[in-house]
Amino acid sequence: MTVEGSHTIAVPPERAYQLLLDPKILAQCMPGCDELVTTAPGEYQMKMKVTLASLAGLFSGKVRISDENPPDSYRMVVDGTGKIGFVRGEGLIQLSLAGTGTLITYKGQAQVGGTIAAVGSRLVDTTSRMMIRKFFDRLADLAAKT
Amino acid sequence: MSTISVPSTKTEKLVGKRVRRKEDPRLLTGTATYVEDLKLPDLHHAAIVRSPHGAARINRIDTSAAKALPGVVAVFTGADVRDIGGVPCGVTLPGLKVPKHHVLAQNRVYYVGHAVAVVVATDRYIARDAADLIEVDYDPTPAVTDPEKAMAESSPVVHPDFGSNIAFVYEQAGGDVDTAFAEADVVVKQRITSQRLIPTALETRGVVAQWHKGERHITLWSSTQIPHLMRSLVAGMLGIAENDLRVITPEVGGGFGSKLNVYAEEALIAWVAMNIGKPVKWIESRRENYMCTIHGRGHVDYYELAAKRDGTITGMRVKLIQDLGAYHQLLTPLIPVLSVLMLPGLYRFRNVKAELVGVFTNAVPTDAYRGAGRPEATHAIERIVDMLAAELKMDPLELRLKNFIKNEEFPFSTATGLLYDSGNYSAPVFKAAEIVGYKKLREEQKAARAEGRLMGIGVSTYGEVCAMGPSAAMPAGGWESATVRVEPSGKVTVLTGTSPHGQGEETTFAQIVADELGVSLDDVRIVHGDTAVVQYGIGTFGSRNTAVGGAALYEALQEVKAKLTRFGAMMLQTDDVLYENGCCHSPSNGKQVTLQQISGQAYLATKLPPQTEPGISVTKFWEPPNFTFPFGAHICVTEVDRDTGHIDIKRYVCVDDCGKLINPLLVAGQVHGGVAQGLGQALWEQAVYDDSGQLITGELTDYAVPKATMMPWIESEHTETPSPVNPLGVKGVGEAGTIGCSPAMVNSVVDALSPLGVKHIDMPLTSEKIWKLIHAGVN
Repeated sequence: MTVEGSHTIAVPPERAYQLLLDPKILAQCMPGCDELVTTAPGEYQMKMKVTLASLAGLFSGKVRISDENPPDSYRMVVDGTGKIGFVRGEGLIQLSLAGTGTLITYKGQAQVGGTIAAVGSRLVDTTSRMMIRKFFDRLADLAAKT
Repeated sequence: MSTISVPSTKTEKLVGKRVRRKEDPRLLTGTATYVEDLKLPDLHHAAIVRSPHGAARINRIDTSAAKALPGVVAVFTGADVRDIGGVPCGVTLPGLKVPKHHVLAQNRVYYVGHAVAVVVATDRYIARDAADLIEVDYDPTPAVTDPEKAMAESSPVVHPDFGSNIAFVYEQAGGDVDTAFAEADVVVKQRITSQRLIPTALETRGVVAQWHKGERHITLWSSTQIPHLMRSLVAGMLGIAENDLRVITPEVGGGFGSKLNVYAEEALIAWVAMNIGKPVKWIESRRENYMCTIHGRGHVDYYELAAKRDGTITGMRVKLIQDLGAYHQLLTPLIPVLSVLMLPGLYRFRNVKAELVGVFTNAVPTDAYRGAGRPEATHAIERIVDMLAAELKMDPLELRLKNFIKNEEFPFSTATGLLYDSGNYSAPVFKAAEIVGYKKLREEQKAARAEGRLMGIGVSTYGEVCAMGPSAAMPAGGWESATVRVEPSGKVTVLTGTSPHGQGEETTFAQIVADELGVSLDDVRIVHGDTAVVQYGIGTFGSRNTAVGGAALYEALQEVKAKLTRFGAMMLQTDDVLYENGCCHSPSNGKQVTLQQISGQAYLATKLPPQTEPGISVTKFWEPPNFTFPFGAHICVTEVDRDTGHIDIKRYVCVDDCGKLINPLLVAGQVHGGVAQGLGQALWEQAVYDDSGQLITGELTDYAVPKATMMPWIESEHTETPSPVNPLGVKGVGEAGTIGCSPAMVNSVVDALSPLGVKHIDMPLTSEKIWKLIHAGVN
């Protein structure tokens, strides 16, 4: 599954880049995130509750950031497993100046498996888009406040 | 001893009548007993941890959190069960590669749903929760789920030890195909698929095992079609004596072939029960059912048909690719071989060449599903014949009639080695054409086309190979057994080696007994599915219950009648006796004794006829001399909506020749169910794996089993050509509807869309697919 899209937030790229890699901010922005801790530079351990139609479950997983090129781009690898399956994905996040704000574009490949795939495959696409939108909405809110 | 002269009232014959099922009251009132209904003291419950990956190495399994959960009694992984024998493949073919199929995965998983660990707890919910606490560290590897891609050199290999995914190649040829094609005026070619289907029995699988420690004996309850074969095979897997294992099959809520198998869970749950010394129950969830009970079909086939300009078919060349899945279940490699046997269909041509390739994929194994190999072949044959008709601009009915084996040509040896014993292939065609008003419909179609409406008329004429079968052609015996016991009270108990799962044989068999012995249906009890009670039997599949099991019963009844007659002669003191309508009577002295009086005397045994043992109990093992060959014609009339791609089924007429009908009501039930599953494949159902091996149709929300509202009115009729191979003249009808249906349906829609240049459509014919075909080129 290809995951791609773009959002704009009202802070310049340098600030946006900082926000995107700040575990505290991420924990607040990620829908269902219960816990997000830094385990090594560029590596986070997280716990996240995911709801997909009639399925709900706690995922635990790792997020790894690589190819950091502030404030323009970085790569993110996600590997999460839980009772209802697994999610693995890898993508490139790019930031560019848009007026006084930042245009964040992302593109990557994600794979889901287990019960989520068996039962909810038709919903994975829309649910992931909804979650990403929520993430950026919250990020935009937080950016506006800070 | 007294004789009475009151005539018996049981003169009405029941065979051939629409008798309601004896089974229905208990099924309809919820008082039947399925595996899930079993309650045993101290019953424990098992849950199974299954792979979420299509292919992966297992690095580590951590069971500590699960074991620590209160109520959990044991957790076992692959290492614990390594010594249990492999899940059996009952098929031998030259060069067949058979991977060792452990009951729990060892260091690799090969498909989503592959069993990795089993948890046993005091409660089903605790077991399920504990299963979620087991952490399996997987290292995913590339998977392959498309059988054609799996054949490529560059493909990931499902079983790396084999070096490739080709499990076997099977070739069969008859006649001179190359010459037939070289001399043909017309050749039509088409790639035709028969997609993976999920059998979806209403009752999922289930196993209960109870170890009797003192007796060193184990009882296994399983929802299966083959209790005796299961006993032999599971005993072998467990390394115990066959008679230390008792298999009981209670009520079975459907199988369609998916329970014609021995699965890992049967041996696993038995082993767990022996290991922990407690009775253990495992009931498959619907999601498990979808991902780890066998699937059906899974063909990608390439058909070529050669013909003369006048429509005479001269030869067929076929390449079949069977998606086997990751393992062989009991009959996996045999199913496409049945497709090859079927290839000439009802047609006279003698030149056939087939190459069959069995391919491993990272998916659950395929195996027998209603029709088992025959729907796949029939669908393709009937499609390619229709394509030839279109190419020659001939009426598809006329083309078929021209090429049928003629009545006077029976017995007919086919190019694939079958001996068709009897048939009258044009009879159902004429009857179906008359019912549907074929000629008038073609006129209506012309008018509809002139108005721009997309109306289609689809025909399929199918042949079947069923009543499996002579033992020489079967992997594990093709005979069947029956014991008929007249009890001292005159009631009749039948022990049948078949094991029904919804066929209604307690009714059909009772009808046969009632007619032969002159008793009422209520006086007959049919017992099946308990290896400690019933003599060895083969089971229920391949439309064999009545044609083979019923024949065994009929033969046993003849011996019972002979013995009753000997007793009657003694009691009436004359040799001039006849057994009829529940009595022995003597035409010469007008006296008679009833069945009750005779059976009472047989067990009292104060006096016995010469060379006659006390009691009345006869067991027969009956070996069929050949398969049976039912046939029929299905005609489907459709109209396709241009705007939505929706297919409206206007008429569905089927005329099936399944030989003599024992119970037309039950035959209708089988035809309706078969057509429903045929339409399911033709229009809606498909099991879909994505490229990484995920089954994305893993629930009833994503897998479109037909609902009652989606069914057309089925006009079901019959012709009756009795089978010469069994004394009842029956052929079997369990699979006919499925086999005849899908080509009639698809031919109808292709016919509807033919003005748009459509020549072939692969199943399922979803509205989306049809809409796209109609609107191709619009954008």
